[in-house]
Amino acid sequence: MVLVLALGDLHVPHRAADLPPKFKSMLVPGKIQHIICTGNLCIKEIHDYLKTICPDLHIVRGEFDEDARYPENKTLTIGQFKLGLCHGHQVIPWGDLDSLAMLQRQLGVDILVTGHTHQFTAYKHEGGVVINPGSATGAYSSINQDVNPSFVLMDIDGFRAVVYVYELIDGEVKVDKIEFKKPPTSNSAP
Amino acid sequence: MASSEIEPALHEQSGSLVLSNADESDRRFANLRGVRWRVNLGVLPSLASSIDEFRKAAANSRRRYALLRRTLLINPHVLKDENSSLNFITDDPLSQNPNSTWGQLFRISELAKTLDQDLSRLYQEHYWCYFQTPGCQGMLRRILLLWCLKHPEYGYRQGMHELLAPLLYVLHVDIMRLSEVRKDYEDYFTDRFDSLSSEERDITYTFDFNKFMDSMNDGIGSQGYSKKIKSLDELDPEVQSIVMLSDSYGAESELGSVLSEKFMEHDAYCMFDALMSGTGGCVAMASFFSYSPPSGSHTGLTPVLEACTSFYRLLAVVDSSLHSHLVELGVEPQYFGLRWLRVLFGREFLLQDLLLVWDEIFSAGSSAETDTTDEDSRSHSLGIVDCPRGTLILGMAVSMILYLRSTLLSSENATCCLQRLLNFPEITDLNKIIQKAKLLQVLVLNSDVRSALSIDGVFDQSSYVPARTKSCPSGSTSPRSPLILAPESYWEKKWRVLHKVKEEERQKVLETQSPPTQKKRMWLKVTKLFRAVTDLTHHKTGNGEKEANSSPVSQSLLEDLSQQLLPELEEANSIDCPVAMNKEDNSPQETEEDIMDFHSATEESIISGNSPSEDNASISSDPISPVLGSNYLETGSDSSTGIGSPVSSYPISAAIDSNLFLDENYEDPQTSGNSPVSISPYQNNEYLVNDQSDEDDPTDKYVGVTKDHKLLHGIVQWFRKFKRTFSSEEKIDINASDATKTNNVEIEKNQISCYSEFHPQASSSGQNRDSDQNLLKTLKNLGQSMLKHIQVIELVFQQQPGMVQTGTVGNLAKTNLIGKGQVTATTALMELRKISNLLSDM
Repeated sequence: MVLVLALGDLHVPHRAADLPPKFKSMLVPGKIQHIICTGNLCIKEIHDYLKTICPDLHIVRGEFDEDARYPENKTLTIGQFKLGLCHGHQVIPWGDLDSLAMLQRQLGVDILVTGHTHQFTAYKHEGGVVINPGSATGAYSSINQDVNPSFVLMDIDGFRAVVYVYELIDGEVKVDKIEFKKPPTSNSAP
Repeated sequence: MASSEIEPALHEQSGSLVLSNADESDRRFANLRGVRWRVNLGVLPSLASSIDEFRKAAANSRRRYALLRRTLLINPHVLKDENSSLNFITDDPLSQNPNSTWGQLFRISELAKTLDQDLSRLYQEHYWCYFQTPGCQGMLRRILLLWCLKHPEYGYRQGMHELLAPLLYVLHVDIMRLSEVRKDYEDYFTDRFDSLSSEERDITYTFDFNKFMDSMNDGIGSQGYSKKIKSLDELDPEVQSIVMLSDSYGAESELGSVLSEKFMEHDAYCMFDALMSGTGGCVAMASFFSYSPPSGSHTGLTPVLEACTSFYRLLAVVDSSLHSHLVELGVEPQYFGLRWLRVLFGREFLLQDLLLVWDEIFSAGSSAETDTTDEDSRSHSLGIVDCPRGTLILGMAVSMILYLRSTLLSSENATCCLQRLLNFPEITDLNKIIQKAKLLQVLVLNSDVRSALSIDGVFDQSSYVPARTKSCPSGSTSPRSPLILAPESYWEKKWRVLHKVKEEERQKVLETQSPPTQKKRMWLKVTKLFRAVTDLTHHKTGNGEKEANSSPVSQSLLEDLSQQLLPELEEANSIDCPVAMNKEDNSPQETEEDIMDFHSATEESIISGNSPSEDNASISSDPISPVLGSNYLETGSDSSTGIGSPVSSYPISAAIDSNLFLDENYEDPQTSGNSPVSISPYQNNEYLVNDQSDEDDPTDKYVGVTKDHKLLHGIVQWFRKFKRTFSSEEKIDINASDATKTNNVEIEKNQISCYSEFHPQASSSGQNRDSDQNLLKTLKNLGQSMLKHIQVIELVFQQQPGMVQTGTVGNLAKTNLIGKGQVTATTALMELRKISNLLSDM
């Protein structure tokens, strides 16, 4: 059982001051084994903060990130799942499922996590999952003006992944979850 | 096995039937330690029960564990399926509700992490690779996890895993044995469900215990031919029982097979749970791990601290010098006691030794379940001194300290002491330690001592002893015992002057036998202990039963001791040492006397009137000779002090001093030639005399007198404890005058010095004795001195009532006996007066 936190598009300090306090109180050290971040943090302080939650931090570069050392995309394997990470501003049209599926095939991953649209989405697609955790701070985007802060927590256990979606709606944290089972045989994209 | 000697003795009170049962059941499962432990810990019914009962109990305990495991070890994913999206809010991993499944899960995983840290280091140093196998580690982790979840008030504390590991190990050993037997006797392990007709099965399962025992006796020789034997009943009984215990088709079917690899985890959990929560009124090991005092405690100490204090008090009772030494150095019991008690000495012994120790500790718990503990078990907070298992643990701790006695006494600071205590040396004679612990247990179980041991006891030894050491001048300590501090009385000094030469001689002897003092001291200490024990038991019950109980213990201890010391003493003075003599004179008729016989069979022979034991009197020509009396005197003082100290904060160091003199005296016999050893007959005498006085039988008086002559020693004791046999005291004085005729005056004086410490008013008698020494030969003087003695005694006697109030903690019940004793005492005094008048007239 591994807990993976996926979040991104914080846009601190340009579009938001900080993570919502409710989120911050939930994100305590010791529970989460990995953090994957889709970029646009944008400053080092957020990077440091994420490090305190979990030292195993994977970040890809968003278009506003100051740190140029972040890679454009990244893959990692957790449990039986292969995870792909990309900010998503490179994938056009932005947030388009077919384009993302193409990237998913390119990277050869089971779960693709992208951002940029500031809108939570999760698609089961072609035996894999495409997830957009939205913006953790609720920062506006060029697509959406009204954004609910949200992030995603994935509980990966063998061939089974449960995706918990945390969304802050009117000051209340709403949790939803999506279960996803990877068929043990027809898994790996060639 | 040593335990079998003692266990039956404990059962003796409850009747011969129980005794024989216990005897048989002791032998049952002798090679299956795991089964025995489960019985002793209360997981399985008593050893005498039938196989079916065993199976039912085993099945039930396993069911409980399985249920617990099902409920407590949550699989979050399974739960999620069941109530998906119904209460999804509380179910998310980041939920801050600690009661959510995820919250529990995180707690469990945290616990498991700490468990793993400890388990990975479990018994690594001793190459017990079994504990490092993944299977074992997994079981240990699950068991501990479940126990901790079940008992959140304790949680997991370091050390619990070391309590559990041996339990699992013995089960493992049993299983190994099972598989061994299975290999050898494969035929009998085949599915008897198929092969046997139902009739046959009935026979097998309903066979009664007697038959079992018969076949056990018959079957001893059949092991070699077992392959040819067709019937299960003719098998070697041990194998047979294993077959029975592992059968999968008995009552409760497979779940009920007592030996089962599949249910090792279940069984280990049940044992662990029983041990920790102290079923059957035993001490709950879990309480040793708690940081808060029990609800009923008025001392505000945590249970483990309380236990530590208790065993220090016990140490003070049995070996005050060591105790005061440790207290002076500031070695607090919890420094090492925490570690000893929490893992039940698991870190002090190698595993194979530990199993033996635990054998004793566990069986102590079960054997006494029958008597006192049943009522007590209801009350929540049981002190460690309230149950036999707890007391044995205390005894074990003290006996371990005593094992290190010499090194502890020789170390000069607390660090050294702790080093010794915390790096316990490898034990060569484990049995001895266990035996000593059992003896101490008997001592503790005695109510008198227990009251002194309990936390709110009247006296506080630890605070008392240092105060005393300050008060006495350092120069007055005995030259041979630098650690023992006691004020030297006038008589001791005098004695020193008079017998300087003699002492020098002795010292030479001592020098030749380089380190004997330690050994001797130990010997003395133990003898003192025995006396204390036997004495206490006498006092307590005053009837034969109790003696019978204690006697085997102390007897064995004495033997043990003698074995230990014999060689040295022989080296030292190549003549019969007391120990050797004592070995000869074990008169069979009274066990209790046997013990004390050790020292003087002669005495006993006088009392009981059976001549055979006179022979045992060994070298000492005439058993009734006054010489013996003098010796008795000395021993008397010794014993009385030893006993007095626990009960009433009597200056213990003095007792030890006198011990030392006694010690010297042991070597004396050769030099004085006249007074061979015979240390302490008083015990028997005292007892018998006591009886007589109780019966108020004046006709017996004369006999009593002769005995009483030897009872000198009893004085102090009587005063403190009973105050009823004053007659004996008078006799003692007479005896004393007799003794002066011999060369053993010094001993007597020694005794007197002790005596005078107790009773200042008695010091005048000491002066009288001194005059006796000068006027040995005339009976007239003797008579006069007698008269004086009598006066002194009368004086003391008058002050007696006051002493009842001030002294003695535990003899409230006995005070009613005092009246009787006083009557006899006064009559005896009158008689003595007449005799002395006659003498002085001459």
